[in-house]
Amino acid sequence: MDLSGSSSVGANVDLSKLSDRDKQELQQFVLNESQKARIQQSIHSLTDTCFRKCIPAGAVKKGALEAKSEEPCMRQCVDRFLDANLVVMKELERLRG
Amino acid sequence: MDSLGGAGLSAFGGDPKTQIMRQVQQEAAMQNARMLVEKLNEHCFERCVPKPGSSLSKGEETCFTSCMEKYMQAWNTVSKQYVARIQQESQSGRSL
Repeated sequence: MDLSGSSSVGANVDLSKLSDRDKQELQQFVLNESQKARIQQSIHSLTDTCFRKCIPAGAVKKGALEAKSEEPCMRQCVDRFLDANLVVMKELERLRG
Repeated sequence: MDSLGGAGLSAFGGDPKTQIMRQVQQEAAMQNARMLVEKLNEHCFERCVPKPGSSLSKGEETCFTSCMEKYMQAWNTVSKQYVARIQQESQSGRSL
């Protein structure tokens, strides 16, 4: 990512004043932040998918997540989704030969 | 939406580097919150307001409150589980 490019983030900050070391540090920081953002995005999408599967239609009226059924279901849903993801990856790898 | 832009930077002291870092983090937190609200509304509207009437009924509002609570707990559960799994995978050398 090019930090010297004009962006809304840098609007009030003179980037030319940053030392090379600062620039490097910032690049690493932005890299880490984008990875965090990617993970959060996955969490949103997993919650979306698993909420549909684990929470029965009328159950949203009851508030708190059911500890005996809904919560374990959500956890298993995450794990199985990721297992499935691995299967897909492996299969693609195999096809690629 | 740009409520965080502009004014945010000059308001904080500190060197430019810290300012940028703070702004990046703020934007990320904002994006995360926005996404949560969007999904929450999507799911809870679907379930709590099957047939939209001329106004939101008391019952529908109550349903929304409970639904929000459930969805946020579900989000937290997924978050914990997913992060644990990533850590476990990265230790065993596989990558997702």
